[in-house]
Amino acid sequence: MSSSPTAIRLEGVSKRYRAGRSRTFVDLLASTFDRVRGRERDVYSAARGRIDATVHALKDVSFDVPEGTGLGIIGSNGAGKTTLLKLISRVTWPTSGRVRVAGRVVSLIELGAGFHPELTGRENVYLGAGLFGLTRREIDRRFDEIVQFAEVERLIETPMKRYSSGLYARLGFSVAVHSHPDIVLVDEVLAVGDAAFRRRAIESLRGLIADGKTVLFISHDMWNVRRLCDHIIWMDDGRVRAAGAAGEMVDRYMEDVNVRALANRQDPLQSHRGGTGEIRYTGIEILDRDLRPAGRVSEGGALVVRAGYEAVSRVASPVFQVAIVDVDSGIVVATATSSAADAPPMTERSGAVDCIFESLPLRPRQYALRMTITDVHQLVSYDVITSGPRFVVTATNGASALSADGDGVVSLPYRFDHHLRAMS
Amino acid sequence: MTTLAVERTLSDRAERTDAAAYWELLMNLTKREVKGRYSQSLFGVGWAVAQPLATMAVFTLVFSRLANIVSDVPYPIFAYTGLVPWFFFLNAVNSGTMSLVQYRNIVTKTYFPREIIPLAQVCSRLIDLGAAASLVAVLMAYYGVGVTRWALLVPALFLLLVAFTTAVTLLTSAANVFYRDVSPVVQIGLQLWLYVTPIAYPFAKVPLQWRRWIAMNPLSGVIEGFRSAVLYGREPDWTLLAVSASLTLVSLVGAFVLFKRLDRYFADVI
Repeated sequence: MSSSPTAIRLEGVSKRYRAGRSRTFVDLLASTFDRVRGRERDVYSAARGRIDATVHALKDVSFDVPEGTGLGIIGSNGAGKTTLLKLISRVTWPTSGRVRVAGRVVSLIELGAGFHPELTGRENVYLGAGLFGLTRREIDRRFDEIVQFAEVERLIETPMKRYSSGLYARLGFSVAVHSHPDIVLVDEVLAVGDAAFRRRAIESLRGLIADGKTVLFISHDMWNVRRLCDHIIWMDDGRVRAAGAAGEMVDRYMEDVNVRALANRQDPLQSHRGGTGEIRYTGIEILDRDLRPAGRVSEGGALVVRAGYEAVSRVASPVFQVAIVDVDSGIVVATATSSAADAPPMTERSGAVDCIFESLPLRPRQYALRMTITDVHQLVSYDVITSGPRFVVTATNGASALSADGDGVVSLPYRFDHHLRAMS
Repeated sequence: MTTLAVERTLSDRAERTDAAAYWELLMNLTKREVKGRYSQSLFGVGWAVAQPLATMAVFTLVFSRLANIVSDVPYPIFAYTGLVPWFFFLNAVNSGTMSLVQYRNIVTKTYFPREIIPLAQVCSRLIDLGAAASLVAVLMAYYGVGVTRWALLVPALFLLLVAFTTAVTLLTSAANVFYRDVSPVVQIGLQLWLYVTPIAYPFAKVPLQWRRWIAMNPLSGVIEGFRSAVLYGREPDWTLLAVSASLTLVSLVGAFVLFKRLDRYFADVI
């Protein structure tokens, strides 16, 4: 990447956990007994269950992170992202391999994890910053900054059990970023705050990177990952599947997620599924103008949602609905084949329907599709996919997206006219 | 903005900050413990005095009936002087054993030297110890027991008591991370321990053939030492004290080494 010194180096790191329930002393006796009798170490017992099964959370992972990098870590649940952060923060140790780190690490695996509800905000700032290794004098110097950033001035002498969860998280984040870390590990913790706080949090992390600090950022929000990180590591099943420039990684990852959502019946897509089932979507593809699969659409570009369907029984004139959803603000665009004109002739049991957006004037960020099939009166829902395939809208030019900060939902053409009026 | 002089070269070490910060963390966690324990409690630290007082009352009712078990001083103050260090040990070990599991939330999420957590439990009980011990002075005045120069031994004895308590707490807290059976075992063990420590009775009244075993209990030397220094105003039993001190030192070093070897597995199994 560059010639700056290495902040984090992982060499052949593997991590195994014991799965299943924790051992009791009886289990210890049982496994010792089994070993004495020369049996396998993996103890199975109908009554006690399997206890020695292991989970391979990381498999031979190696990479270097230079100082001053914003590195995104993406991947599906269970890919080993959090384990990675825990190893770097020394919360846990590798089963084999070596993890080396330069400087002080602050891990934000959970905001305000060290806070005590009976203590006041002030006391918790000292306690929390102390957990990150700061001395009282260092905290004294930063105290006002911490409180101002979190916007808790009014409540700083109040026990934290009276705080809302958002305030709690805000103070936790503020303490962490003001602990002058060399390396910050962020694990999907920004989801708790409101949009304004999230934006400020991202800004402060960007500031740290600009100051030459290293930030590792786990998130499922591809928009935020792209905003913060130049490079991305894509984790899959405990291994590094790919690493490279953020834009390219996000595209490849989104495409993979969407392809797998269709291929795999046990995908999260399926678990959010409702409806009576007379007719169901069989596949949803996100395509570009030329009907090529796409994980991202540029701001104002064209988008085609191609939805295959299959009916179990004969359904008279079903209504297909496609909505574009923003995680923060809900449904952004809702469409339906309501008019008789575009209702499909249900002569066949299966087919496909294209929902074509000639132009999608959406602000750059991540969106999801919400897809339903209802009867003609929209009284019966045959199929409901509340959280369908996702896609990213990217800015037509990278710089403007960051300066406009992704505010708002719709990008409409506009201009400013100035009318100068002489002061009388 | 000045930054810490932490050298930024790749390192395998877990500690990446200076000891002063960790000392303050210990103090802060101790404060958190004390505050958590006595918040929304009217009687507050008074409970730390009530505990040995109540047991003293029971012991006085039961044991003082036995023909002159204690001849030098009134039985209540004799029992109370033994019960004060005992309850410090009992409470610290009891809450210390559960401490790492209770702080699971922090242990699995940030790094800091793990021994700070059980140590904070021991430190937080020092306040109780101080409160309960100050009542000894009141009792001494009431029963007319004078102070001698041997009272100067008290700080050293306190140190020995805290050191041994720390050793046991480090061991039980680490073991409890791996096997939750440790906590009930410790509770039962402590109940029995009370009776193999010369608290309700003086060491001198222990039958000869058992003395060697009672002496192997480091608390025996400490508690007998307290009584010599404060109540009897005479030289302590140096042999008993030496045995206690050396066993305490060995167990403290052993417990700490073992703790540091186990602590990297805490977050995985807790």
